[in-house]
Amino acid sequence: MADGVASLLALDVPQNGGYMVAAYIVAAVILVGYAVSLYRRSRDR
Amino acid sequence: MTLAQRGRWVTFTGLVLLALVYVRALVFTPTEATQGLAQKIYYIHVPAAVWAETSMIFIGLASVFFLFLKDPRLDRFAEASAQVGVIFATVVLTTGPIWGKPIWGTWWTWDARLTLTLLLLFIYLGYLVLRGAITDPGLRARYSAVIGICGLVLVPFIHFSVLMFRTLHPQPIVLKPSAPSLPGVMLVTLLFSFGAFTILYIGFVMQTYSIVLANETRVDG
Repeated sequence: MADGVASLLALDVPQNGGYMVAAYIVAAVILVGYAVSLYRRSRDR
Repeated sequence: MTLAQRGRWVTFTGLVLLALVYVRALVFTPTEATQGLAQKIYYIHVPAAVWAETSMIFIGLASVFFLFLKDPRLDRFAEASAQVGVIFATVVLTTGPIWGKPIWGTWWTWDARLTLTLLLLFIYLGYLVLRGAITDPGLRARYSAVIGICGLVLVPFIHFSVLMFRTLHPQPIVLKPSAPSLPGVMLVTLLFSFGAFTILYIGFVMQTYSIVLANETRVDG
């Protein structure tokens, strides 16, 4: 019974984890990329 | 220790904290029932938006003071803050549509909040392009200060656009007159992320400022 309710609730939650993963990767690439570019720019001086 | 070296350490600390934010948001913060996992984009989108706007506020204030005081440090700070502001505005304008697609059914709409945020990015880019185009330091500083003040005027319109216009964008749930309507565990994650983004902003600006200063010294020399 409890398993049935849990699976029904799980079905109601939208399955859109791929968008979350994409957003977190994009943000990390932008922020880490800028940090690396600053490091290289200050080393090249 | 130089400003650039200190900035590097602050940035490193910010990146470590950002990694911890990722772990907390993805593993230890519950999934919102109606939006699903896409709601977790909120924890990086909102702090980036706050710093994209705050960075422009700082540029505007530095520009106002520069026009009165003629202190070159204010001009340098404004340029450094503009370069960093572009980064945060880019994070906002990429994570926002990635959230919008599953929740609104579209990547982009010409909604007031979205359009004004895009305008903010264009002001940042215009500010930096103008600085690159003018060689005379005094003229460059004065003209870019005017753009910085225009950006400052834009920021309240961005923040209040969801109240002033009919928009798809959600209403504020934390930065509003009443208490935040976000469950405690989610609010802690958001505030933790805001702290990480704040440290990143400081580290980025310290490093960028030192690069701007070095470039000026090289040109003068």
